[in-house]
Amino acid sequence: MPQPCTVVIFGATGDLTHRKLIPALYNLAEDGDLPSSLTVVGFARRDKTDEEFRKELEEATRKFSRQSVHDELWQSFAKRVFYHRSEFGDPEGYKRLAKRLEEIDAQFGTRGNRLFYLSVAPSEFEGILKNLKEYGLNKSPTGGWSRVIVEKPFGYDLATARELNEVVNNTFAEGDTFRIDHFLGKETAQNIMVLRFANGIFEPLWNHRYIDHVQITASEPLGVEGRGPYYDNSGALRDMVQNHLLQLLCLTGMEPPTDLSADSVRDEKVKVVRSLRPLHGEEVAKNVVRGQYVAGAINGKPVVGYREEERVNPQSMTESFVALKLNVDNWRWADIPFYIRVGKRLPKGGTEIAVQFRNAPAVLFNKATNEVGANVLVIRIQPDEGISLRMQAKIPGTALRIEPVKMDFHYGTSFGKASPEAYERLLLDAMSGDATLFARRDEVEQAWKFIDEIEHAWHVSANPPPLFTYAAGSWGPKEADELIERDGRTWRRL
Amino acid sequence: MANSITSLTQGLPVEIGKIDRELKRLWQEGEGAATRASLINFAVYCEGGDAMRENTEIISKITQDHACRAILIGLDRATPGASVEACISAHCHLSRAGAKQVCCEQISFLLGRDGLPLIPNIVFSHLDSDLPLVLWWRGDLPEESEEQLWTWVDRLLFDSQAWAKPAEEFQLLRTSIEPASPRMTLCDLNWTRSLYMRQAVAQIFDHPEYLDELSGLTRVEIAHGPGMRSTALLLAGWLGAQLRWKLESFDPQGLRFLDGDEKPVAVALWEERGRAVGSMRMSTADGSFVVAHHEGSSFLHADIQLAGNPESHYLMPGGKDDIVCLLNDELMSGGKHKVYLKAVNMIARAL
Repeated sequence: MPQPCTVVIFGATGDLTHRKLIPALYNLAEDGDLPSSLTVVGFARRDKTDEEFRKELEEATRKFSRQSVHDELWQSFAKRVFYHRSEFGDPEGYKRLAKRLEEIDAQFGTRGNRLFYLSVAPSEFEGILKNLKEYGLNKSPTGGWSRVIVEKPFGYDLATARELNEVVNNTFAEGDTFRIDHFLGKETAQNIMVLRFANGIFEPLWNHRYIDHVQITASEPLGVEGRGPYYDNSGALRDMVQNHLLQLLCLTGMEPPTDLSADSVRDEKVKVVRSLRPLHGEEVAKNVVRGQYVAGAINGKPVVGYREEERVNPQSMTESFVALKLNVDNWRWADIPFYIRVGKRLPKGGTEIAVQFRNAPAVLFNKATNEVGANVLVIRIQPDEGISLRMQAKIPGTALRIEPVKMDFHYGTSFGKASPEAYERLLLDAMSGDATLFARRDEVEQAWKFIDEIEHAWHVSANPPPLFTYAAGSWGPKEADELIERDGRTWRRL
Repeated sequence: MANSITSLTQGLPVEIGKIDRELKRLWQEGEGAATRASLINFAVYCEGGDAMRENTEIISKITQDHACRAILIGLDRATPGASVEACISAHCHLSRAGAKQVCCEQISFLLGRDGLPLIPNIVFSHLDSDLPLVLWWRGDLPEESEEQLWTWVDRLLFDSQAWAKPAEEFQLLRTSIEPASPRMTLCDLNWTRSLYMRQAVAQIFDHPEYLDELSGLTRVEIAHGPGMRSTALLLAGWLGAQLRWKLESFDPQGLRFLDGDEKPVAVALWEERGRAVGSMRMSTADGSFVVAHHEGSSFLHADIQLAGNPESHYLMPGGKDDIVCLLNDELMSGGKHKVYLKAVNMIARAL
């Protein structure tokens, strides 16, 4: 159980607060995981009373909470939720905030512990952090703790990420900085380490001798959904690969840490990013395919192309799909490719890691004339979190016919208790000071260093590789299929 | 009464974007009473509202032997536009092992007449991941289709007997569909119709005493059911391809081949009431080999008369011509059907 504290949310009237943060805190309270004296202060520009704010949050929590809302508990929770109106750059607002937090400490016994959640655009970070420092809010007045959670994007490239990290670390020490990547809070992402290091059967096989390749897919049927200006400036590579997918790659590829402390785990993860074979110039054209969706159909309904989306540049060259072939140049993964694919307006939503093992020898049952498929271990991150193992089995009958079958483990059906939402775990960890599931500064900067080369080849080089198109509702451009088929492999069917 | 997976034999209409959620909910409600089973994705395309009902019944029977996720897609040419209606249903059967019901999901889509381009997305969106995709395309193949759809299909089932213009359809298959997917196996149910006849013929000539007679075949007579000429042609094509004959000419009465020694072999085809392929008589200078379905018998009867030998009679499995049996036979078979393609190539001109 974490110590009592006050969670201060900057950007409290935004979507994230309503859909994720407050429902997550409520669910933690429902499960008895929150200190009873936890308080929440919403910091935002709009005029609002505490009561109005509470009312809005109640509606949102009833809508988005994974558990039904109990009136009695909500009333108790809501009494400790407050609204603080201020411009992000107004020093006066911080002066008042400091005073209010002291009052809350006195009234609710939150002991001067503060968790600041920056759910705002990165352009606001500097102003907020400077003011927090100016008014001493980056230090607990009573010897407790003061921490900050930063939402992605952690920069736009390596230079801006460094700048941002400087800004954050000028106010909060790295140990008090929690860069949130909600993928890492998902039950199955956390289970990757358990699967690998708590089971005797997998780790001996988890290397270039037995694994043929790894595929990591994050697909979604949604388009830009009103995020046009942000997405058009970012693209799939920055929005998804730099953070979520490289994190999943790290968890899949890392060496066993010496212990489960945050830094031991993150030390191993960062080694994986450092081992990624850099892609320069022509290698980008060879190993990375970018695509943009054109009009098509999703769920039986026609949808417009990317360039026709609201508030998207009609001549945009932003990728809504990217497929990459990556190599981790270390002993364990020598010559084993990691294929990554991410995109919008794909037929099916899902995020998974598929570890494909080498084929059985081409004798007995796996002759060239009658190949049987490979074993595939699939870790489903979302939806329907779980793990499946594909293997070959003889179909009953006198003839020898071999077909793939699947052993499937679903979190949802195997455990009576529903998995907590990613934000529940991450908020709780931040309150407890456990940064294992948060990105460290060097991880973020290394990831940007790798991504910058690709972005450079696309947008700065004299001879950029083409931006291919794909119909909305398809599985991406055919060039992405060719990327993997060149190696005699195919993308998995989700 | 609330729907549960075991009682969901009639379709439950669902919003297309909520299919997975609804299925999940139904499984949760039916937990303990039923086990979900799936070894393949079995997608069926058909035309017309009535065909949906007919195919749902077929799927229900298929699921008794082949656990699958069924995706039924119907195109209703009477409905304007590209509308889509979806419903979910389940086919549950008592398992062999005990009292627990084994259930297979079916997701059905009824499309308006302009809905053909939506099919790839519908199939892609609702597959049970990691399992093979068997697509049964009922009727003529689509002239314009998404290449990516074919690349995802492991086995494409069709029935060339139902094609109005088989020559054009085979051309489409060879030029547009097959090249799109090297891994796809073409499975013609019209070919499956002659499976037991082919097996019987092959077994007869497995006998060392009869094997030499194959090179001396002079005449073949195939009796086929009404409208089943193409089934008989494929059977003739199979024999010709396996014996490395060359097709010389053809007319409504049959085909004329040249064997490896350039000697003529006539294949006569005629129609008579009964099975798709009622009988096959193969004659040599020394006698004849006849494989035939006899009325009232579920076996194939093989009669061999060779000069200097006593007459021989064998009974062999005869199979059935109904569509469920054909599908079951096809779904139980593996491999690439390379012999089928050779047979098609042999008689392509005559189709």
